[in-house]
Amino acid sequence: MTLYIPGDGFLYRRHPVTKLVFMLCVAFLAFLGPGRWTPLLIFLAALLPLALFSGLVRPYGGALWRILAPLAFFLFVLHGLFNPAGRTVLFSVGPVAVKLEGVVFAALMTSRLLCVLGASLLFVFTTPPSALMLGLAQHGAPPWLTYVIGATLQIIPHMRARAAAITAAQQARGLETTGSLRVRARALMPMVTPLVLSSLVDAEERAIALEARAFRSSRPKTSLTELADPPVERVARQACVVCTLLLIGAGQWL
Amino acid sequence: MSFGEQLRKDFGTVTLALIPVAIVINLVVGQIVSALNLPLFLDSIGTVLVGILAGPWAGLVTGLLTNLIWGLISSPVAAAFAPVAGVIGLVAGLCARYGLFRNWWKAAISGVLIGVAASFTAVPIRVFMFGGITGSGADFITAYLLATGSSLFGSVIITVLSTNVPDKVVTALVAWAIARALPQRFLARFPRAEAVTPSPQG
Repeated sequence: MTLYIPGDGFLYRRHPVTKLVFMLCVAFLAFLGPGRWTPLLIFLAALLPLALFSGLVRPYGGALWRILAPLAFFLFVLHGLFNPAGRTVLFSVGPVAVKLEGVVFAALMTSRLLCVLGASLLFVFTTPPSALMLGLAQHGAPPWLTYVIGATLQIIPHMRARAAAITAAQQARGLETTGSLRVRARALMPMVTPLVLSSLVDAEERAIALEARAFRSSRPKTSLTELADPPVERVARQACVVCTLLLIGAGQWL
Repeated sequence: MSFGEQLRKDFGTVTLALIPVAIVINLVVGQIVSALNLPLFLDSIGTVLVGILAGPWAGLVTGLLTNLIWGLISSPVAAAFAPVAGVIGLVAGLCARYGLFRNWWKAAISGVLIGVAASFTAVPIRVFMFGGITGSGADFITAYLLATGSSLFGSVIITVLSTNVPDKVVTALVAWAIARALPQRFLARFPRAEAVTPSPQG
């Protein structure tokens, strides 16, 4: 369902909120950190070893390539050829010239994206949604928020199945879903309306079920499963934040 | 009614049950649209619907969470655009509050407003985080505009507006049609259902 990959490496044993804090710190550093090399350094010195210690190198490399390759391609083409700051011509291809300043900018943006994507992929790969919600609730997230996220993840497969059933039913009644743009556009509402209306009726039933179980009660809620949050995790979170602030400060000052 | 009271009313149990369904509507309708090969995204119908039925703040939350959850299940890139999705819900809710979802042409105007607001939220994210690119065919428009001498910011604004505004007009019309198709008894369960009923003056 989610991008979570079951496993038991180093990152799997960390508290979800610790990983969330780490991911956000890396994202801030990638854009506000000192110098041009920070994002690439973070990726090579921190993210890649973390993926290694969590036994995730293969899916990690695959997902990074799949998401980053098209972005990097367009970045280099767009900025290498057309960035208005481009002055120094590296070489010419027919009527257009590749310029140094654009290539440098594209490389910087690519390394930042690599860094942010790398950190967020580590987070989603190693954090099951249930643990994330439990961790968030533990740190004071309101119950409605964890309910909304949890319910959404549970409804998705049902709604996908329902969308497929509605499509099949409408096609059986003669709805054309291929052909000219006009034909396809006319197929939209007959497919969307039944899906939305039936799922809204579900929402109302769900609301009645929640009300019947005193979901809006303000008393503290108990949880079926417990999530350990040892002091070392808290220290790790604080260390992440302090290091990030120091590095960003150094970046501004130097 | 004070702001706090309005919020409590907007975030009633029915709204809480509606938001997950709306998020999934966003994701699944986007899927139907790509199966039909239509040149639109239509991935915020649920968000606009929540904006209409439960107000701007519920719309904001629906949009934000849609993209965050999307980031969790398919690609973290979507999470970076969560503020854009949030603005879509917020503006849809504000339009509905001021009666801009009472008939089809007003809904189309709402669509334009939503599209413009979403574009102006998306441009800074696109320029500063992604260097102005999306990794899709729309980048050729940006490249062309850059080549003809526009600035990066200007090129991206034009690219984003030209893909977003038509999409949000269709989104607003579909959401309006769906809200109108809801039975009165059911509509009455939502905190801001009066937004889609024609005003007494017509």
